[in-house]
Amino acid sequence: MEKTKSPEESRKLLDKITFDLTRSIVKRDELTRFWYFILIMFAGVGLWGWGIQIRDGLGVTGMRDYVSWGMYIANFVFFVAISLIGFLISSALHLLKIKWSHPISRVAEQVAIAGVALAGIIIINDMGRPDRFLNVFLHGRFASPIIWDVTVVTTYLTISVLLYYLPLIPDLALIRDRGGDDIPTWKMKVYKIMALGWKGNAEQYKLVYHAMRILMILIIPVGLSIHTVTSWLFAATLRSGWDTTIFGPYFVAGAFVAGAAAVVILMYAYRVRYRLGEYFEDLHFDYMGKLLVFVCLVYLYFNINEFWVPAYKMKTAEGIHLRNLFVGSFAPMFWWTQMTGLILPIFLMLFRFFRKPLPLTIISVFVLIASWLKRYIIVIPTMEHPFLPVQNVPDYFKHYSPTSIEIMITLFSFMAALLIITVLAKMFPVITIWEYAEEKGIDKKILAEPKK
Amino acid sequence: MKIKLLFAALVFLAQQGMAQEWLVPEDQKSVQNPSEYNLDNVKKGKDLYLQSCKSCHGDPGKNNALPLVPPPPDFTSDIMQANTDGELFYKITHGRGGMPQFETTISEDDRWRLVNYIRNFNPENEPVLVEEPPKKAKILASVNEEQRQVEVFAEYQDKDSNYVVLAETPISIGAKKAFGTLPIGQVLTNDEGRAEYHIPESLIGDEQGMVTLVIDLGEGFINEDVVLDAAKVGQPKPTPKLIQKEVLWSTNENIQVWLLLSYLAAVLGAWGTIGYVVFLIFKISRAGKQE
Ligand code: HEC
Repeated sequence: MEKTKSPEESRKLLDKITFDLTRSIVKRDELTRFWYFILIMFAGVGLWGWGIQIRDGLGVTGMRDYVSWGMYIANFVFFVAISLIGFLISSALHLLKIKWSHPISRVAEQVAIAGVALAGIIIINDMGRPDRFLNVFLHGRFASPIIWDVTVVTTYLTISVLLYYLPLIPDLALIRDRGGDDIPTWKMKVYKIMALGWKGNAEQYKLVYHAMRILMILIIPVGLSIHTVTSWLFAATLRSGWDTTIFGPYFVAGAFVAGAAAVVILMYAYRVRYRLGEYFEDLHFDYMGKLLVFVCLVYLYFNINEFWVPAYKMKTAEGIHLRNLFVGSFAPMFWWTQMTGLILPIFLMLFRFFRKPLPLTIISVFVLIASWLKRYIIVIPTMEHPFLPVQNVPDYFKHYSPTSIEIMITLFSFMAALLIITVLAKMFPVITIWEYAEEKGIDKKILAEPKK
Repeated sequence: MKIKLLFAALVFLAQQGMAQEWLVPEDQKSVQNPSEYNLDNVKKGKDLYLQSCKSCHGDPGKNNALPLVPPPPDFTSDIMQANTDGELFYKITHGRGGMPQFETTISEDDRWRLVNYIRNFNPENEPVLVEEPPKKAKILASVNEEQRQVEVFAEYQDKDSNYVVLAETPISIGAKKAFGTLPIGQVLTNDEGRAEYHIPESLIGDEQGMVTLVIDLGEGFINEDVVLDAAKVGQPKPTPKLIQKEVLWSTNENIQVWLLLSYLAAVLGAWGTIGYVVFLIFKISRAGKQE
């Protein structure tokens, strides 16, 4: 924290910060409209595909009796994975008193909300009869990982929303009190309601800190369980490729890789689009790069364990599965994800140049794509090799390939996630203003001052 | 080898569900039936038919075969009779698609006897085995739980439409199961048309040992099957206790208590805390109204 500034200096600085950080709220140009148009159009096409699926049943997908989990489940695991970054950056790093990550918290929380919300929707996507969704709660088995997963996804979503909202309250009051005239009035009205009559007195700050601290602690076990339970959906079965004891930590580590990459991409987008270069500094990218290398290394370590140990033994069924990955039909995808999702990024990001904003963002795009493919590789190859011999079925029962409806619906999920993030960025500042101002040495009293 | 390939191709076509012509190798077509066409062989063929073929091909002349694709032809049909003896033998031996092979289960002699039986229905042949028209019959039966026996009384309608006792006739006893009647034994009626059948100790019933017995007359009679009320004459069915045990992945009825408690504790803990945070948010709002 910088040393306290004089009131004069503080006021000037706060005006500048508020101006910069509300730019995303104010900005409305052709590009915004075009972006919304693209998102809504593609999301609409996906919804249309979903309509077809509901009308005609899951037969429109490539899933059959043997491969009954396809692209949807892979996509589900991916979205759960990226949502986990919320708990790493805005809670774990906070509690460890790591300062540089503070401006990134809200970006991470945006990714968390969008990811876990879509994860929930994708599960309903995967149901042939979505109208029976409530049966999960009415007739669910408490001993089933599926119930735990549903429970923990909803819990994590709730906590993430609260953890997004709490530090937002003082910001909303700030914009309410000193926001520029160019903010649309309806937004101002929303802020006024959501600011809950924030005055910025000591009592209120105490309550916010207290509540945030509780949530930050609570989200750690919940965040760890959300992806551990998701991994148990696989690991609690006897199928080769899933029947392994390290799936929990393996998934969690992989989730941090995917999430960190998503956050870097988003940071870069905000930096360029909203001219926030002074806030998402080179230093933040540098640190995010280092964080990414670190989680990649952890993930690589788990990957080596996950593949090398069974590969040494090559038990019958496991052997078929592994050969399929290493040299068989999934080999190109497998080696592509390992190379572009782990090994090359680790190597490149060791150099300072590749931790600069643009190179790091490009690397992150590759890492994110690879982590999606990685989930595909976790789900489908195992499904294609049941233990019982597959007999007397048409050929397309034995191999899975997604149909265009599935691709449409998956595309919908991406667009819907981006839409959530866009709406959040357009509605609320992407960095916590008051926290940032405080770190720059602006006194809390000045924050509460109304505009002259 | 060639034959095998051809055969494989045929099996493949049959699996496609198409009624393709069933080709029999030329040299097999003209093989002569070594067993003589006489009453003895035809009777034996009929017994084999009842055992191994009736379940699919139905009763000869009634066109009540199983609805398979392609359908099993009736034994009296032209399709069947158009075959040479050699062709029939070859088809019974090797089978195709829904028609099983009998090469390994019925001896060569008996397969030829089946051909004899098929020929019994050929219009060009003098039938050696003439079935009498079926007679109407009635059965009365009751089960005695204590003595574990079934008591049967049977009558049939004679030429003058009077019901008279049915003597020296086999009565079949079966037990009703989920997918049909399981034959458990036969008993002959005595001169008074009565029979007593002792239910074997080893008969297995439902969970309580209850068995629903079905009494029937053999071929040649028209009667309604007698289905007795379920009686406690069997061993209780042993039910595997797998899912009834308290295991980790049990149903809700058998869930392990610690698992349920941990789940509920975690859920209550998390949501209780969330509730507390929501309460704090209200407090924030209230703290703004003070002063
Ligand atoms: C599991 C059911 C089944 C049983 C049991 C069965 N058949 Fe068949 N049979 C079929 C079917 C189905 C076909 C028609 C096959 C085809 O045309 O591909 C067939 C066809 C035949 C044919 C050839 C008819 C033609 O098209 O020229 C003969 C002969 C025959 N069965 C005899 C027998 C005899 C004899 C037995 C008993 C030893 C027997 N079948 C038992 C199902 C059965």
